[in-house]
Amino acid sequence: MTVTPHLASDSAACCWIPLFALRSELARRPEIASLPVALVAPDTARTPRVWQVAPLARRAGVKPGMTVSQAIGLCPALKLCEPDPVHYDEQFARLVAALVTVSPVVEPVELGRAYVGTDGLEGLYGEPEKIVEAIQMRNVECGMRIFSEGSFASPDSHLHSALRIPHSALRVGWGIGKFVSWVAATRAKPGEAVIVPVGGEAKFLASQPLAVLPLDPDTHRRLLQLGIKTLGALVALPEEAVVSQFGSAGRRLWRLAAGLVTEPVVGRVVPEPIVAALTFFTPVGERDLLAHALDKLVDRALGDPRRSGWRVQVVRVHAELEHGASWLVAATLKDPSATREHIAAPLKTQLERSPPAGAVERLVVEFTAFAPGTAELQLFARDAGAAARAGRRRALQSAAREIALRIRRPMLYHVIEVQPWSRLPERRYALIDYEP
Amino acid sequence: MRNGTDRLRAVNVPQPAVVELDASGSPAKIEMRSAECGVRNGDVQESMTIEAVRETWRIDDEWWREPITRTYYEVLLHGGARLVLFMDLVTREWFVQKP
Repeated sequence: MTVTPHLASDSAACCWIPLFALRSELARRPEIASLPVALVAPDTARTPRVWQVAPLARRAGVKPGMTVSQAIGLCPALKLCEPDPVHYDEQFARLVAALVTVSPVVEPVELGRAYVGTDGLEGLYGEPEKIVEAIQMRNVECGMRIFSEGSFASPDSHLHSALRIPHSALRVGWGIGKFVSWVAATRAKPGEAVIVPVGGEAKFLASQPLAVLPLDPDTHRRLLQLGIKTLGALVALPEEAVVSQFGSAGRRLWRLAAGLVTEPVVGRVVPEPIVAALTFFTPVGERDLLAHALDKLVDRALGDPRRSGWRVQVVRVHAELEHGASWLVAATLKDPSATREHIAAPLKTQLERSPPAGAVERLVVEFTAFAPGTAELQLFARDAGAAARAGRRRALQSAAREIALRIRRPMLYHVIEVQPWSRLPERRYALIDYEP
Repeated sequence: MRNGTDRLRAVNVPQPAVVELDASGSPAKIEMRSAECGVRNGDVQESMTIEAVRETWRIDDEWWREPITRTYYEVLLHGGARLVLFMDLVTREWFVQKP
């Protein structure tokens, strides 16, 4: 496996699928796609709040951040879905894995948004239009076309559009630096791309609204009060004047608006192969003992800190046999995994089918290829607490499915606050079906 | 597919009860479904003697549309169980409810 110490690129393609979690949910449950749907925010322990809102529900006035009771008040037919962050993370990991096949420099930022470094890809693909086309084709190949925009996609081509892939929600922006490419992606229509030519950054940015800048609400309000509505209007002010009003943050905003900041895309270094080995005191020929040793070695390799944040895609086992012979098996996991059972299963199958020709003196397990993100340790929440929450949620969902199968009606409920301040006890809380 | 309205279920809905008052107008005896007083004895009406009234309070709410006026009593039943009941001052009906 190649290890590149400095994975960075000035030219960037920003790949953005808005409402990624909601789209993942609707792709999994197409029967609710025509309803006013909203996802409940994960990890809002006391007061459940709305996280992502489908257009139908938005039209009824439901907005992200509202409490569930407010949202139901505005839209009684609202279909609320419990979030499944692990599923969304896995879907996003698929997208990131597809992007890695275009460029080794990929920087995931948040669910549904990742930057692809495109420096040096001209020799492989050609002009930026062709690079963007390759990205869009990978996106389609990896199954992201299920995130259909449907009737939301306009048939008209954008002025700067590179190409249009119908039925895709992916928006791509290409430019120098992450900021320019991000703004370009926000200007792109679903399934389309906006390319900002090199040297044209300032002209492109000048007409963009202030909202594309990373502004806090107070700064945004103050700039609007000063009559500044576009990046061009901000840049028209002297840089020092903006600094005197807004401090160092103002300087950064001014320079971003002027297209003077080029933040490179920084990729993650893929871990080196992880190896775990065991030397037997006396050569071992029993398959049960070898299978047990395999489990132990896979466990040990999974526990390597370098594996954190990665799932295993390719695993190899080799054995040194008596009299100098050797034995080798390898498995490529269709679904990259970070659990011992999934990784060891194909190895044990091969151990049964074609066992070593002699007794084993030394057994070595090697993880040689990885995929970003893990089911039990998420891409965007790699701390142990988040992993534990995700695990608990999975277990709960599994139990809920089992109960629903057995008694054929929902018996699990989520307690939500309706009017917790009410003096009437029956108005304070309500139950909502828990449907995993 | 059920919609959002019928997915919501109220919690802690008042349960009807029959209350006998003593000479001073305080609750002295209550008759209700046994499950409401924490006694698992099937779904039968059970009559319980009220030993003492520990606390009383009144709630007036929603006077701007359909007034809700209740007098709550926290009582001790014979045997030591604690219960909260209220009289709806509009309908003069009694209910049991968790506080």
